Amino acid sequence: MSEQVEKSIEVRGFLHLDAAFRKKHGKIPLIMDLDSPITGRELAEKLEIPWDEIEVIFVNGFVQDLDYVIHPGDRVAFLPPGCPGPYRIALGFYGKNQNNEANFRIKKK
Amino acid sequence: MNKFIRVDMTTKQVTIEEVPAKYAGLGGRALTSNFVADEVKPTCHALGKNNKIIFAPGLLSGTTAPNSGRISVGAKSPLTGTIKESNSGGSFSQKMAKAGIKALVIEGMPTDDKFYVIKMDVNGAAIEEAPEEILGGCGNYKAIEVLSAKYGEKVGIALAGPAGEHRLPTANISFKDPEGNMRSAGRGGLGAVLGSKKVKAVVIDDTGAGAVPIADPEKFRAASKVFSKALLDHPVAGQGLAAYGTDVLINILNEAGGLPANNFTSGRIEHNDNISGETLNATITERGGEGKVSHGCHPGCIIRCSQWYPDKDGKYITSGFEYETIWGLGADAGIKDLDEIAYIDRAMDDIGVDSIETAVAVATAMEGGLLPWGDGKAVLDAVKQIAVPTPLGRILGGGTAVVGKVCGLFRTPVVKDQAIPAYDPRPIKGIGLTYATTPMGADHTAGYCISGNILKVGADIDPLKKDGQIEYARAMQIGTAAVDSTGMCLFVYFGIADNPGGYQALIDMINAQYGTELTAADVDKLGESVLKVERAFNKAAGFTNAHDRLPEFFEYEPCAPHNVVWDFTPEEIDEVYNF
Repeated sequence: MSEQVEKSIEVRGFLHLDAAFRKKHGKIPLIMDLDSPITGRELAEKLEIPWDEIEVIFVNGFVQDLDYVIHPGDRVAFLPPGCPGPYRIALGFYGKNQNNEANFRIKKK
Repeated sequence: MNKFIRVDMTTKQVTIEEVPAKYAGLGGRALTSNFVADEVKPTCHALGKNNKIIFAPGLLSGTTAPNSGRISVGAKSPLTGTIKESNSGGSFSQKMAKAGIKALVIEGMPTDDKFYVIKMDVNGAAIEEAPEEILGGCGNYKAIEVLSAKYGEKVGIALAGPAGEHRLPTANISFKDPEGNMRSAGRGGLGAVLGSKKVKAVVIDDTGAGAVPIADPEKFRAASKVFSKALLDHPVAGQGLAAYGTDVLINILNEAGGLPANNFTSGRIEHNDNISGETLNATITERGGEGKVSHGCHPGCIIRCSQWYPDKDGKYITSGFEYETIWGLGADAGIKDLDEIAYIDRAMDDIGVDSIETAVAVATAMEGGLLPWGDGKAVLDAVKQIAVPTPLGRILGGGTAVVGKVCGLFRTPVVKDQAIPAYDPRPIKGIGLTYATTPMGADHTAGYCISGNILKVGADIDPLKKDGQIEYARAMQIGTAAVDSTGMCLFVYFGIADNPGGYQALIDMINAQYGTELTAADVDKLGESVLKVERAFNKAAGFTNAHDRLPEFFEYEPCAPHNVVWDFTPEEIDEVYNF
């Protein structure tokens, strides 16, 4: 991997965050400079995504919770509540979304 | 629902019986599978005179319970050779239930070459010759118009399309929806069984029918209210499916590396934005016209995952534009244009073929050199040939296993000759166990709905690891078999798995309707019993544990980006049905 790639991350947003990303950043994926590790929660803050709009994040193809540490070179996606199907279990959502403000259980607003 | 109607196509006799006592407490899949196990010779040819096909509303169909309008169809499958239950939305189930019809059985086979229509109403059923204009290649859209004009705009219709008339193993049964478009009992080739009995269509007219009897209306209303709230409060219903349809899964599965691409040679594509649910939503919204982002496939659907997808001028192309169809054509066959995929989806509905089996057959045909990779126009032309059918049309209409054999391929993604759908079993192992073991052949909807008291198995699942996956696949199949018997859409999963109150409300509605005292444990037992009946039929038909296996290539071809293979041992797979 080149030096250039290792100082950035690829970020995607799904469901309504897809349109929001395109409106705000002009495209998906967003390529962001990143020099040092950052948690999903901190990255969400940087991108001004409310925590309660994120059920889980994907990091390099794996479902993670919001406190997972993202490193330069990673591929990240923010997933709001709304993923259907048993894949929520099969992909590991149930072990990762328990402490998030927007977990799978019931819409809180 | 006190009528059990039998139509003998050999003698053209209609018999109306009381519901046999052993079926009184059953509905939907529980009824169709028990009936097929009781009356269909397991070793019969699925297209021969000894197969029987049964239509049954779910236990709650016809009531005001939300999302309870699924119709189950059962028979021995000409695609898999196994027992088959395939279910669908549309208005048929509710009308059948309101007319007091617990089940319609079609048996025997005429000796003449004519096609027939079976007309049901509150008084029973009659057999009539099918109108000439809907035969010989007439598309389903037109056939529904003709039948609605003849029998009434509000009638429910079940239809074998041109593929069903030709008895092809991909043939589905199409059901008219409230607007005169279609939903499908897609999997397993049951349209070919209908075609083999020379039944072009079944019509249900519920004129004069009263409300479905409810033993305790007040209790039913209260439970229904709780159930509705459980569904609507859930973000999947409110924010996911209603806005983006099931196609919301393209981006999610792609990100997880579980989106099978180019005939299952990779788990991720680069053109996901072209075909995602987010793009589907944006395109429908931008085009306007007849387009609808959200649409219910039957009265009383409050999740509304369907949609109307319009062309550039806002004219309707297709509806119920599902993730699995878009995946099959867009990722597995590599067609990058959503409009091209929409026109192929419309053609598949019009011809009456399963859009999963056909899309996977198309991708397999591309690997076999029968079609150019990613060429939507060539695929549309080839799919339309199924209605003729030309030799290419017959090959595609034969399904994925046939295409794989004709092309001499080892990479043929089927279990029990049914195409594996849109979730790669290598990086999502639990799904793979369901594909391998379900009595239906590879089917994602066979492991879709967990029951309330076994939710805990999901907490520690890692998609790449074996831990907990056997328990997961077992629990999901048991839960699904039970919910498939209620007439409920599987998307009620969200309201019952994530909300214990919702699950209890579902049981309370059944108890209020029938005056029963079922518990959650009873519902689990029902699911288990259905699976055991289905598995016993398959065993008698010649299936063994050795058929409960994924294609071998999954064991030695790693799936990118996670680069994992399928590594469950036969002994581990066999544990799924150890209950």
